[in-house]
Amino acid sequence: MTLSTMFLTMAAGMLRTCGIFALTLLGSLPLGMIVALLKKSRFSAVRALIDIYISVIRGTPLMLQLLVWYFGPYYLFGWSIRGWRFPSLIIGFVLNYAAYFAEIYRGGIESIPVGQYEAAEVLGYTKAKAFMRIILPQVIKRIMPSVTNEVITLVKDTSLAFTLAYQEVFSLAKQISASQTSFMPFVIAGVFYFIANYAVAFGMKRIEKALDYYR
Amino acid sequence: MIIEMKNIKKSFGGHDVLKDISFGVDSGEVVSIIGPSGSGKSTLLRCATFLETIDGGEIIYMDQKAAYTGTDGKAVYVQPNELRKFRSYCGLVFQQFNLFPHYSVLKNLTDAPIQVQKRSREEAEETAMELLEKMGIADKAKAYPYQLSGGQQQRVAIARALAMKPEILFFDEPTSALDPELTGEVLKVIRQLADEKMTMVVVTHEMPFAKAVSNRVIFMDGGVIVEQGDPKDVFENPQEERTKRFLRVFER
Ligand SMILES: Nc1ncnc2c1ncn2[C@@H]1O[C@H](COP(=O)(O)OP(=O)(O)O)[C@@H](O)[C@H]1O
Ligand SMILES: [Mg+2]
Repeated sequence: MTLSTMFLTMAAGMLRTCGIFALTLLGSLPLGMIVALLKKSRFSAVRALIDIYISVIRGTPLMLQLLVWYFGPYYLFGWSIRGWRFPSLIIGFVLNYAAYFAEIYRGGIESIPVGQYEAAEVLGYTKAKAFMRIILPQVIKRIMPSVTNEVITLVKDTSLAFTLAYQEVFSLAKQISASQTSFMPFVIAGVFYFIANYAVAFGMKRIEKALDYYR
Repeated sequence: MIIEMKNIKKSFGGHDVLKDISFGVDSGEVVSIIGPSGSGKSTLLRCATFLETIDGGEIIYMDQKAAYTGTDGKAVYVQPNELRKFRSYCGLVFQQFNLFPHYSVLKNLTDAPIQVQKRSREEAEETAMELLEKMGIADKAKAYPYQLSGGQQQRVAIARALAMKPEILFFDEPTSALDPELTGEVLKVIRQLADEKMTMVVVTHEMPFAKAVSNRVIFMDGGVIVEQGDPKDVFENPQEERTKRFLRVFER
């Protein structure tokens, strides 16, 4: 295998890595907010369910969760798992990251002074409008550093997709290295991850800067 | 009467904070509420502005009942969509300003009129600029709250409340969070509003201000109105022992 074929194969793998990354964020950022709000639900059964969900997700390895989502339908219900690899992977990642984002959101929401809610209430904002216009923008600013941490962790966590033999850049690096007895694939993968993280950090910095107009 | 509160009862976990309080405010009247810390002044304002729910009694705005005592003796409020109308009758200025830090001064004044009262942007901005002019901070329209002094922030908060065109404005110790040299500028705008016959209820520890500006003074202690009347009478010739004792602290 020439170096350029190796590079091209792995670049295709990097695209799949980016796919996992983007879909996970697309699902988990909003889902985390729903989870955070459900945790403040009036119904204690809902709150209890959310507590169980968050503690199970945080108390077990992501790798194990991915295996459960992939093989679970077969072992539990005898369903065929053809074509299930990628969906199960995304479900596993989204549900995992949503739990972590939910905790970050919850902390952010609780850090907003009660006076902000009261000022909005006296001015006649509905609860939903007060949350969307007054509370949420301030929450987003406050949680940006924690969200940045999670997003950078996610870039690296995508490599756990190798557990399900999904052909993202890390799986490919391992396979090509073994078949070609070469160290080069690992170097290429490392460079790819580093560039991806650099881009993510740059993007998040830009967002934080954009929110710097107030204190 | 703009507002009438009758036999208001409110307790927090068995602690009676308001014990059968009744008072009313006429259009154009300025009422000062004084009293020691913990006497229930803030709670009274918070009940009047619907931030707290009363346990018993009646809240009547412009001859319409917002809350009344039901057959079981507990307070009953009107439906939420009707309560919104009552909320629009009153404004509240907080001790801690509670401006929206992510909005410019102008947007602090226009967002609720546009979002809540569905007024046009042009009209809301025009009203806002007039109010800022009146508060002497028109040049700060584009600034953010963190860029303002405490006195300026409180004046923005007053303008924000006025932008909703309330029938009555409540102030909960509007100068207590300010450095002494900044209280004057805030008291000045409240006095100006009094001259324009804005109906106001002001909880304050600024006795000279209360004496000079208000039509009536209410002295509260332990969740009851101990004494009320013309500021001259209450300050210079208090009838109740508790009032005398409280006022003596401010004489020095
Ligand atoms: N949300 C609350 N929960 C429990 N107790 C409260 C609450 N708000 C006020 N109180 C109590 O009610 C009493 C009156 O408080 P407040 O109305 O703030 O008095 P003031 O404004 O005159 O200082 C105090 O004893 C206070 O501790
Ligand atoms: Mg108070």
